[in-house]
Amino acid sequence: MKHDIGCLHAIEAFYAYLDGELDDPDSIAEFEQHIDHCRSCYSRIEMEKVLNQRIQKTAKNDSPEVLRDRVAKLMKKF
Amino acid sequence: MTDHETKAFFGAGIERHLDSLYSVALRLTRTSTDAEDLVAESVAKAWASVDTLNDQARFRPWIFRIMHNTFISDYRKKSIRPIEASFSDGENDDDDLATLLNEQSDDFLTWWSNPEREFFNNLLGEQLLEALDDLPEAFRTVIVLVNVEGFTYDETAEVLAIAPGTVRSRMKRGRTLLQKALWEQRPGSHEGTSHET
Repeated sequence: MKHDIGCLHAIEAFYAYLDGELDDPDSIAEFEQHIDHCRSCYSRIEMEKVLNQRIQKTAKNDSPEVLRDRVAKLMKKF
Repeated sequence: MTDHETKAFFGAGIERHLDSLYSVALRLTRTSTDAEDLVAESVAKAWASVDTLNDQARFRPWIFRIMHNTFISDYRKKSIRPIEASFSDGENDDDDLATLLNEQSDDFLTWWSNPEREFFNNLLGEQLLEALDDLPEAFRTVIVLVNVEGFTYDETAEVLAIAPGTVRSRMKRGRTLLQKALWEQRPGSHEGTSHET
């Protein structure tokens, strides 16, 4: 079993881990080992996932019809 | 590629990314009319410089970079809110997250280290958008590109013309400042009153 990286090290990797940007297998393994054993960091990761989902759902917008028409007319001139 | 093929490729790319362009433009400008103008202007600029797209596989970062540059040159000044000054803490890209947390109040740190899942489940969409829109542009933009549109850190760096490490740093600090803003908005909080207009 590897040494635990500790909470301070883990919080620096939170978002890179959640965003799929931790590409080193050893770093991923160390991070996951820590959150498996740290209730506080595990809770924080779970909460961050919820917030991620809320941000994705809330800030995603369909382009309005008026813009689609405007862009279509614009591109006819190209 | 013939002119006809170039036009067909460009049109298909715009069609594919129009919703994403509008979503990002809306968070950059924070008004629907400015967002529509920004997207339309960016499409026109992109077509005018389509010969600078050397790799068709890079269409998405290329078109978003043009839109971001257009925002900076034509819209940024108009979109800045006075409230952004109140979030100026933590904008130093070189600092780590621990440094930012050390600068926060004990009340916030207690809440931050003992998160309640229900808090974010019960959050209203408009509360979240308000907190997101109040973040400084540097943080708001990376959060929207990465969390909403699914850009990688490398793609985001390409769009914003910054280093991937800066994207990583801004994600950490931006997400923490977003949570601080949401915490200040919570019912019964006195922290948020200074942000009300």
